[in-house]
Amino acid sequence: MMKPYLFIISIFLFFNSSFAQDFTYGKISQEELTMKTYPKDTSAHAVVLQEFGKSRINVGSDDNIKLFYYYHVKVKIFDDKGFDNATVKVFLYNDNDNDRYEEITDIKGVTFFNDDNGLVQKIELEKKKIYPVKINKHWASYTFALPGLKKGCVIEYSYSIESPYFLSHFHDWDFQADIPKIYSEYEVHIPAFFSYKAALKGHLKLTRNKADVETKCFETHGASSDCSFIIYGMSDVPAFIEEDYMTSSKNFKSAISFECEEYQSPYDGVKRKLTKEWKDIDYQLKSDQEFGGQIKRKGLFKDRLSAILIGKSNETEMAMAVYEYIQKNMKWNEFWGIYSDDGIGKALDKKSGNVADINLALVAALSAAGLNSSAVLLSTRENGAINELYPGTGDFNYVVARVDIGDKFYLLDATDPLLPFGILPLKCLNDKGRVFSLDKPSYWMDLNLPQKEIATKIMDFTLMDNGKLKGTITNYYKGYEGYKQRVKIKKFNSTDEYVEDLVGKLPKIKILKSEIINLDSLNLPLGEKYEVEINLFDKNNSDRMSFNPFFMDKNETNPFKLTTRSFPVDWGMASDDRYILTMHLPEKYTIEKPPQAIGFALPNNGGKFLSAFENMDNTFTFSNIKQFTKSIYSSEEYPYLKEMYNKIIQTEKVEMVFKKK
Amino acid sequence: MRITNILITLLLFYSATMGQQYNTNLIPRDLLAHASAVVRNEETEVIVEDLDNTQVHFKTAITVLNKNGDDFVHIKLEHDKSTIIKYIKGVIYNEYGMQTGKFSEGDFEDASAWDGFSLFTDARIKHYLPAVTAYPYTIAYDYVLKLKQTLDLPTWKPVADFGISVEKSSYLFTCKPDFIIKYRETKLPNKVIIGKDKNGNSTYFWSALNLKAVKEEAYSPYITSIFGTVSIVPERFSYYGIEGTTKNWEQFGKWQFDKLVSDRQQLSAETIQKIKDLTKNIPDSKLKAKKIYEYMQSKTHYISVQVGIGGLQPFLASDVDRQNYGDCKALVNYTQALLKAVDIDSYYCVVKSGSDYKIGMPENFPRAFGDHIILCIPFKNDTTWADCTSQTIPFGYLGDFTDDRNVLACTPEGGKILHTPKYKTEDNIEDRKAAFEINSAGVISGTMITNFKGADYTDREYLFNEPQKEQYKMVQKTYPINNMEIDKLDLKQDKGFDPITTETIKLHAADYASFEDGKIYFMLNPANRNKHVPKNEINRVNDVYINRGYTEQDEVVFTLPPNYRYEKKPLEIIIEKPFGKFSATMELIGNDLKYTRRLQLFDGTYSKDTYSDLVDFFSTITDADDYTVSLVKK
Repeated sequence: MMKPYLFIISIFLFFNSSFAQDFTYGKISQEELTMKTYPKDTSAHAVVLQEFGKSRINVGSDDNIKLFYYYHVKVKIFDDKGFDNATVKVFLYNDNDNDRYEEITDIKGVTFFNDDNGLVQKIELEKKKIYPVKINKHWASYTFALPGLKKGCVIEYSYSIESPYFLSHFHDWDFQADIPKIYSEYEVHIPAFFSYKAALKGHLKLTRNKADVETKCFETHGASSDCSFIIYGMSDVPAFIEEDYMTSSKNFKSAISFECEEYQSPYDGVKRKLTKEWKDIDYQLKSDQEFGGQIKRKGLFKDRLSAILIGKSNETEMAMAVYEYIQKNMKWNEFWGIYSDDGIGKALDKKSGNVADINLALVAALSAAGLNSSAVLLSTRENGAINELYPGTGDFNYVVARVDIGDKFYLLDATDPLLPFGILPLKCLNDKGRVFSLDKPSYWMDLNLPQKEIATKIMDFTLMDNGKLKGTITNYYKGYEGYKQRVKIKKFNSTDEYVEDLVGKLPKIKILKSEIINLDSLNLPLGEKYEVEINLFDKNNSDRMSFNPFFMDKNETNPFKLTTRSFPVDWGMASDDRYILTMHLPEKYTIEKPPQAIGFALPNNGGKFLSAFENMDNTFTFSNIKQFTKSIYSSEEYPYLKEMYNKIIQTEKVEMVFKKK
Repeated sequence: MRITNILITLLLFYSATMGQQYNTNLIPRDLLAHASAVVRNEETEVIVEDLDNTQVHFKTAITVLNKNGDDFVHIKLEHDKSTIIKYIKGVIYNEYGMQTGKFSEGDFEDASAWDGFSLFTDARIKHYLPAVTAYPYTIAYDYVLKLKQTLDLPTWKPVADFGISVEKSSYLFTCKPDFIIKYRETKLPNKVIIGKDKNGNSTYFWSALNLKAVKEEAYSPYITSIFGTVSIVPERFSYYGIEGTTKNWEQFGKWQFDKLVSDRQQLSAETIQKIKDLTKNIPDSKLKAKKIYEYMQSKTHYISVQVGIGGLQPFLASDVDRQNYGDCKALVNYTQALLKAVDIDSYYCVVKSGSDYKIGMPENFPRAFGDHIILCIPFKNDTTWADCTSQTIPFGYLGDFTDDRNVLACTPEGGKILHTPKYKTEDNIEDRKAAFEINSAGVISGTMITNFKGADYTDREYLFNEPQKEQYKMVQKTYPINNMEIDKLDLKQDKGFDPITTETIKLHAADYASFEDGKIYFMLNPANRNKHVPKNEINRVNDVYINRGYTEQDEVVFTLPPNYRYEKKPLEIIIEKPFGKFSATMELIGNDLKYTRRLQLFDGTYSKDTYSDLVDFFSTITDADDYTVSLVKK
């Protein structure tokens, strides 16, 4: 059937197809120029009047199949805070080390405005003011600034990108941005040789969605096919406004993304499934040299592991030793990704690698130690949520190791030398992960993990007759809180320097003795113990002395300011904070006004704040529990969160007053 | 056979001992304090072969003690068409000084030296961070650069930054005997040794031994008073092929004007006419200039593009006229051209910018110094300054970025050192007056008016032109009033020669006051609470430096539910120190509680013993600002 090298057809024939939905470049209306605000959002500094994009898979002049992407936009700029929209940075990707960046061509830009006489003027973007930059081995960019901006102007620009990465990086399309859009449309032309699936994100609906067939639109080496031609359009897209404490705005912004499911090679007619079902993906990952091929390399560890496994009596101890070995022997080079860059062998020799180099090495090493290990593919918080509807690897940008011991499992990331065993960095706590191993089918696991931030602060003070408080402060940090505190301490060259800094920050407190416990034993709770002396003596009034038990760290303003909220509050993990003060008073002193007992609970068992006071003879205890049991709170729960913080602040504000009986 | 064996043994021995000099044990103990890395031995050799040919040979060995020190061995070499990297190679040693790896130019990644804000910069950077996971370790490397210029010669700074100490470091500068240089030293233990090498060339040699790591201290003077440095400037130089002299500021300023600026100010006849028309009804030349400046502001916006002659030459004025954008150089150059259209002379002024320190052009030491260009218009007895990169600041307003320092005015007659105006303690005012009512439910409501003047004029700049909803959100974050709801926000700017920003907020907040056992409790200072107390330093090394003075005035009247009286002595705090004054008082008159707070800080340099006073000062303020009023029902 195939007749290779029969003829090569010109690709340009189809570019002027009658389907073209692009708006005319360089045409401007008086309404567009005189428009003063955008009526649907009068606060907008700029609005996209029209935006059009097109992706077409076709044959390039070098005879290779490529993705031809075209982008064209027209933006109204109302004031100088909208000028940023006229500075454009187009990123070009390079999948490998051979300098094959995507190629950009035909960059055009123009600015329209009305001059003082009300006549339409335009200024074209000059070619020499378009700046190419090679950023690093994976990315290059072209930047330009549209010329002649002034309030009320309209800018327009377009460019085309030729990409060899049409299978792995089909251009996605963002309908929603931080400025509103009147109309945004994306058109894709995909030859029947290729089959892509599209996923629409965000809560906005398409206002136009049309699918058609273009006949005989693709031809290479004698093979030809029809194309599916689909239009996705959205009108009146509101600006996206971010809120504090949310995950990636990508999860909420309206956008459409594509992933190649399968294709039939036009050259040999062989069908290749890329994504269709998880079992296909499993197979593909397993055979991929940069993924499964690396996990298989258990042999690399035979010699390396023998020494560190000596004396390890159970699987947990073995797993901990292997984890620590990789953690201590490989340095993260700050590159992300789910595929090994150098191969774990080279990475081990260089002692450095990307996320996959390190964590796939960990998976292989665990397995070499005879443990049941697997790789967990995930998408970091910044990268956005996973689309579970269609199987695919396109959403993943990070990989960690999982080890199953008995009925327990642990997730491990060896890129950070301070992470305890079984604790993931916050950036990884996002949605779901796909667990992949060489011998079993892959499956989803929830990344809403049991890991927590746990802090316990215990103070035991005695008020002396001379108006001084003497006693101990003992803080314990467990789980992720232990990690965070270690990062803080390790910023200093020694614990002495850390304590010296602390002394400086607490000028009213004398630290007589200090001890940091388990700083380097990452799997044990981190402890800080201080023997302190605090001068409470009040110059103005020697009969009354006041003391705020939250002097170490106090919540003073509510982190939540808005009355209502549109997006969930996402902290990534639960937290548990306990504070216990035991105070011994001398005979002649008493507490003037004991703090009020407070109990406040969040709905749906979401957490609580409890404050209690107990008095026995001359000793009292004052305790507080702050608990957030969930990692994510819905916008309906938001007002309760806010109120709970109000209660916390009120409690922490209270000064205890001790007076002579 | 035997001979080769011996040879191999010798070689092994040789290479082993080679590195053992970097055994971490050999570092003197006092160099470890506050250090995350130690320079073991560093040699910089600079040889000026010719005006457009300088060789730099840099050799160093740095021991990294812990993870915080990794950054000191992240090798970064900037290069462009006038800086060429000839070679670079290095060796990695472990704790005991045994070699564990090596690297060369092929391991380096070449990346854009993007500064984070420019649209484009043509400089590139080659960088490499050796991956070593076991601490301590030592990196020894050397490289050779060829500089095709002699204006910007490497300076010597043996202690490169906070947190690194130095065992040994030296700098050797070699040039032909007829090549005249000037050098300037700061804070160096040893003076220069001047001599001749065997070829009769002049040599200048500096060296230092055992320099301890420096800890960063708050309120410290500028880094040149903390770290030792040597800067070298040749009397004659070539820069990107353009020759010039740094004999004095006059000639160096003239070089900049003639070679970089003078031929870049032509405008079209049409634009010139436009400017003439725009100002024809304004007789006063200062008001004319103001009009032109405002025209420039409304027409252009700031975009940084750093290309060409070390990024020193401005875009053509006609380019800016057409493109409507430029960086500081381009916009000043353009504004100058516009002013010239109506015969107003102005100066293109090079300044070292920055709000944290006021660093002027070094006296009698002309060199390429400074990083920003501003405009000076020498009206008779009324020298006026302008920064052309903002679309919003008033004409004649410099702000804290370039005030009170020596700048180089590049004029056709030559360079002149001028001094920019100073914003003094009494000029920089944040003045707040508020009248609030507290009702029996603890809700506070009322209006608060704040005026910002002097360097503080721009404090609310970020709010202007934002949609109301965003403004409300930002204001809520600015003030520490919990549950604050804004009923109305009004912002005004008087853009005269003495500009003022006025913010008027009508607000209410629930739970501001609480009631218990016939008492009322609330925070006395609702809006302006100091939160930051500088860290106590036990062994303070540096003098106390306060870069800028300011004045804060708050007057708040709370109208309370009736019949409350003092429970304890009302707050009254008055402190006066050489560097500042603070007072906070309250007074209950009928149902009105009046709170008055005044804080003044005076700029200047004070002895290091003053530091603990400064800590006490801010600590007292913080306590006073946290004061909770408690009144009891009559």
